[in-house]
Amino acid sequence: MVIIALGFSMAIMISIPAGIIANQESAQNLSSTYSNTLNSYQEQINQTLTLIECSLSSGFTSGGFPGGFPGGSPGGMFGGGQYYIYENITDAILSIPGVKDVVPILQVTEGHNETISRFDRTFTILRPDYVIVGVPLNSSLINNYSFLPTNITAGRNLQENDTGVVILSQNNTGYFGVGLGDEVSILGTNFDVVGIQGASSSSDFTNMMNLYMNITDAQTLTNLTGMISRFDVYVNSSDYASTVSSEIQSMYPDGVLTSADTLATISTSTYGDRLSRLQNMTSMYQDTLNTAESTLTQTQSTATDEIIIAVVATSLIVLFVMLYTVRERTKEIGTLKAIGFSSWNVMSQFVLEGTLLSLAAGVVGIAIGSVGAPFLSGILVPFNLFGSNQNGGRGSFGFGFASANPTTPGVAVVAAVPSLQIMLIALGAAVLLGALGSLYPAWRASRIRPAEAMRYE
Amino acid sequence: MSDVVLTTENLSKTYMMGKREVPALRNLNLQVNRGEFVAVMGPSGSGKTTLLNVLGCLDKPTSGKVILDKVDVSNLHERELYKIRRNKIGFIFQTFNLLPYLNAIENIELPMENAKASKSERRAKAGKLLGLVGLAGREEHRPQRLSAGEQQRVAIARALANDPAIILADEPTGNLDTKNKHEIVRLLAKLNIDQGTTVIMVTHDSQVASHTERMLLLNDGKIAKEKQGLLVTKKKNICPYCGGKIQPSDYRCPSCNKRL
Repeated sequence: MVIIALGFSMAIMISIPAGIIANQESAQNLSSTYSNTLNSYQEQINQTLTLIECSLSSGFTSGGFPGGFPGGSPGGMFGGGQYYIYENITDAILSIPGVKDVVPILQVTEGHNETISRFDRTFTILRPDYVIVGVPLNSSLINNYSFLPTNITAGRNLQENDTGVVILSQNNTGYFGVGLGDEVSILGTNFDVVGIQGASSSSDFTNMMNLYMNITDAQTLTNLTGMISRFDVYVNSSDYASTVSSEIQSMYPDGVLTSADTLATISTSTYGDRLSRLQNMTSMYQDTLNTAESTLTQTQSTATDEIIIAVVATSLIVLFVMLYTVRERTKEIGTLKAIGFSSWNVMSQFVLEGTLLSLAAGVVGIAIGSVGAPFLSGILVPFNLFGSNQNGGRGSFGFGFASANPTTPGVAVVAAVPSLQIMLIALGAAVLLGALGSLYPAWRASRIRPAEAMRYE
Repeated sequence: MSDVVLTTENLSKTYMMGKREVPALRNLNLQVNRGEFVAVMGPSGSGKTTLLNVLGCLDKPTSGKVILDKVDVSNLHERELYKIRRNKIGFIFQTFNLLPYLNAIENIELPMENAKASKSERRAKAGKLLGLVGLAGREEHRPQRLSAGEQQRVAIARALANDPAIILADEPTGNLDTKNKHEIVRLLAKLNIDQGTTVIMVTHDSQVASHTERMLLLNDGKIAKEKQGLLVTKKKNICPYCGGKIQPSDYRCPSCNKRL
């Protein structure tokens, strides 16, 4: 009984540091994920000085990056509709002076509806299962611009005039249950899987649900013949970027007709826009990191308090148990003294007993701690940076990206598992506390006068 | 000239009950010779146990002296007293006071724990003592597996462990039935005769007391009366009841058939 009670106390002492360390590591992961993400965006942006990304929105400007940046994940996360416009818009755009090429893209998110409650409201959201990305496969475009997947890990990339073939992401292979060389049925049509793109790492989660195919195939498949969902405009030189951007905007003051006979606004994003958004993002990430850091500091101080409480509790348990033991065994102590044990003998015996008791408790504590640390630290460490619940996590931390979808690892959350070092320290603490806690009772025992002890029943 | 092992000179012990002084021993003078078997009797509150505690260095006298084996122990510090208790005194208690988590032989070894003897020497001696009290073969038995009489035998063996100058027994038969009572007294008498062990036994049982050499009746903290016990004649190999010749090993007198 006592050993188990002490064991829990010890387990607390083990779990809290484990939780803290886990939080620190999680924070480091968060930080490195952020910096990886930002770096990769910076690279992408740098390569596209002459690119104006054009996307569609319902009248107000979406903050998303059409390329699939976090906030603007395909189709939008929260009830955002998907807009499709007639592809002949590209001819009109091409006629703007300074425009070199237009790359039409049809991107359709396929998923299932899911109702979630957050705070006091209920949302129906589209949980994406996969994203069909139809791209033009004419040699003049694919040779000059980067819109095909860039990291093919198996098989080949899309080639000129490919049809009936698809590039899956790692994520897709899991969803469809197929691999390279297999045939996959997408919306009832069969495609050959000719390549796998490796966008599944936490730093490149934006494309990880994308499957790429010929835009014509995509249009047929989704019954959106002649429709596109966005387009990339390439200008002759970066000098034209802002004028072409505003020209596109002014060409359609009321919006563009969509497949649903509604009007959608064209949003454009030049290198400058993207750069400033990146800067915004950087500062937002920085804020998050700062918040995380200050939370961590707070957590640590609370945890320190808790450890102190656990230490005090442990010592008190040992103290009371040993005091009780001394009371219980007064007669025995009297006997020992009567048959010639010195006070020192008696005292050292009780200190030894207390120490052994705590040592046993320490072992039990480590056993409980190593199994229960993730749960215990979840309860005890006041604010677990990412919670134990990854799906949907804590909104404030992810910009919807740690929680972008259930399969996105986003940031690797480190589980609180006590290290060997913590265990050894805890064991040492157990022995020390056992010795300290039994010191006073042992002293009391040694002071017992044998004649009185003998009278004690 | 008999060898005196224990002397008290004007021994007094006063307890404080709040502010009231309660005298337990009043100027008690006593001399015990080596090899004597003495019974201390008296009504409750007469100071029997106090006397035993003071003689056993478990308690200090308020005034007067206790000279044990030529050493004045009345003013020694606890640092010294525990050695006296270990080496000069063997205690036997009414409730046996064996340690429940140690077996018979370990209980006997306990007082030798701090002695210089090696582990095997201690084990050998404990085994010998266990045989002496008639419990050979019960080495591994824990107290709860021994009868009351057997537990007291183990306790007697424990008291003998360090070859003490004197055995102090506090109502050693108090918790025993008639049969065991006699066996324990006979055992103590046998040890007294065979080993020359000096025994002071506190008892309120006059039948038990009569089997000793000298009976002291304590009253009001003083020795009120002194009587000779049956053991005196027994030591001369004479039956105390009929005066017939007996052998030390006789359980009953061959002449009158009375239990010795």
